[in-house]
Amino acid sequence: MQDRSLARLLQTPAVVLLLIWMLVPLGMTLFFSFIRYVLTSLRRPEWTTPSLDNWRGLGNYQFVWNNDGFWLAIYNSVLMVGSILVLTVVLGLAIAVLINRAFPGRGIVRVLLISPFFVMPAVNAVLWINMILDPVLGLQGLAVAGMNEMIDGLRTFPLLGGFFSLWPDLEPISFRATQTSAYAVIMMVTWQWTPFAVLIFMTSLQSEDQQQKEAAILDGANAWSRFRNLTLPHLGRPIAIVIMIQAIFHLSLYAEIEIVSRGNGNKNLPYLIGEFASNNIGAASATGIYAVILANIIAIFLLRMVGKTLMD
Amino acid sequence: MAIVAQETKFARIFWPVLAWIVALIFFFPIFWLVLTSFKTDADAVKPEYLIMFQPTLENYLNMTENYDYWRFALNSVITSVFATVFTLFVGVPCAYAMAFNPSRHTKDVLMWMLSTKMLPAAAVLYPMTFLTKNFLGIFDTHFLIILVLSLINLPIVIWMLFTYFKEIPKEIIEAGKMDGVSTWGEIRDILLPLAWGGVASTALLCFIFCWNEAYWTVRLTTTEAATLSKLIEGNRAPEGLFFGRLSAVSTAAVGPIIVLGWFCQKQLVQGLTFGAVK
Repeated sequence: MQDRSLARLLQTPAVVLLLIWMLVPLGMTLFFSFIRYVLTSLRRPEWTTPSLDNWRGLGNYQFVWNNDGFWLAIYNSVLMVGSILVLTVVLGLAIAVLINRAFPGRGIVRVLLISPFFVMPAVNAVLWINMILDPVLGLQGLAVAGMNEMIDGLRTFPLLGGFFSLWPDLEPISFRATQTSAYAVIMMVTWQWTPFAVLIFMTSLQSEDQQQKEAAILDGANAWSRFRNLTLPHLGRPIAIVIMIQAIFHLSLYAEIEIVSRGNGNKNLPYLIGEFASNNIGAASATGIYAVILANIIAIFLLRMVGKTLMD
Repeated sequence: MAIVAQETKFARIFWPVLAWIVALIFFFPIFWLVLTSFKTDADAVKPEYLIMFQPTLENYLNMTENYDYWRFALNSVITSVFATVFTLFVGVPCAYAMAFNPSRHTKDVLMWMLSTKMLPAAAVLYPMTFLTKNFLGIFDTHFLIILVLSLINLPIVIWMLFTYFKEIPKEIIEAGKMDGVSTWGEIRDILLPLAWGGVASTALLCFIFCWNEAYWTVRLTTTEAATLSKLIEGNRAPEGLFFGRLSAVSTAAVGPIIVLGWFCQKQLVQGLTFGAVK
């Protein structure tokens, strides 16, 4: 295909669609972020229609900036995305190396391992917060209750009983509480996305130079230094890609947060925007623009990391 | 091989066993979900029926009555299938042009496309609701969901396709040109057969992302076009209630995709590289 204009023509539908998708709603958000715009107001009914007459300048931005919830939401966003990225990459690497060898049932192990990736976020959250993490009826609650019962039984033992009676009863952790709900989200998303990291790393490990590795073994390099000096550099690009794709998905986490605790303790930026949007569209839009700025700061780093070698 | 023989007997047993344990731990939550789906709501929360219980199909038989499962499932199938087809329809020509006739801007265009994925959905939710409800009148229609699912997956699809197409030698495509094959003919008869594995795994991943999408599908629908994500999010039980029936409908929501994933795992394992493997 030599024809430049034909090449452009073929790219046009995709480019135009994405351009509209990006510019129209974003333009509206930008506009709303500079005006007073609420959905219901008895006192000031004129604020309920978007119009230039309600111009507020940077007022919405100031309002959001001075809102404690905003900084908590940024903290939560960064905490959750950061923890998930570190956990999935480390676990993904470890598991990919672990199954990068021939052993009986490897195919089944692979199938079992990648399954969580196919689970939809809503089901993931419902499953973990109810059936597994619930402090009374979930497996966590049952396990804690079982342990307590066991310790209780041991207390009646002669001699040893005195030792066990010093043990306190275990308390199950409520993962819907303010302090812990972010960890519940981190846990369930890590469970779902580690398989994705494993998938990508596994494929790249298979393309690793085996002769180089054997030479290293003959030179007496131990397993750790082989991993550190040969495998890890080889996985540089896959790691960058795993981080980028996950960052894209996790910056907009929503369903898990909604289902775990309705934003109690784990509210991130998208969730905060959703809360504002139930009435104060101006503030929601200003928060949205902040979120876009944050995403862009992160995107610049990530895209540069991935883009460097894209065209070779 | 000599190298392999160096492994101690301990290592030969220990690492595979560890791999099996890790795999079982990762699969356990899904196993537990399926197991719970065969318990009655009452049994599901009783410790004495943890593993030994009277299995029942009641939850599955009542699924239509309790949750209207099939309507949501049908919506999921329709939106995911059409969105995947449409995304590929727009994405393949674009990636083809980028891979075989790159200009100095191609990289920037690709990066820009990916950056649209970074746009937080929540930031534009209100305008989207506003536009589709008040102006376009397409709120809660299949058309809207298909369109949105296509748009959010288009960047990743184009990127994946681009990395596959790039690996195909230009000469093969150009040979077709000499023979006077049309552009459409080139794509259909030369490119697609050569890049079949890559296109298949792209389509599969796109379909999975569509099926599991839980932001737009929940917030841009009410009843007409609501998908399984909306069904589950809307019916998550308050603590301890209905674990059995909730597990059954959840299993039915993720089951088709998991089974599809199992069947296609070879394609996924080989194809899901995002150009990371040379």
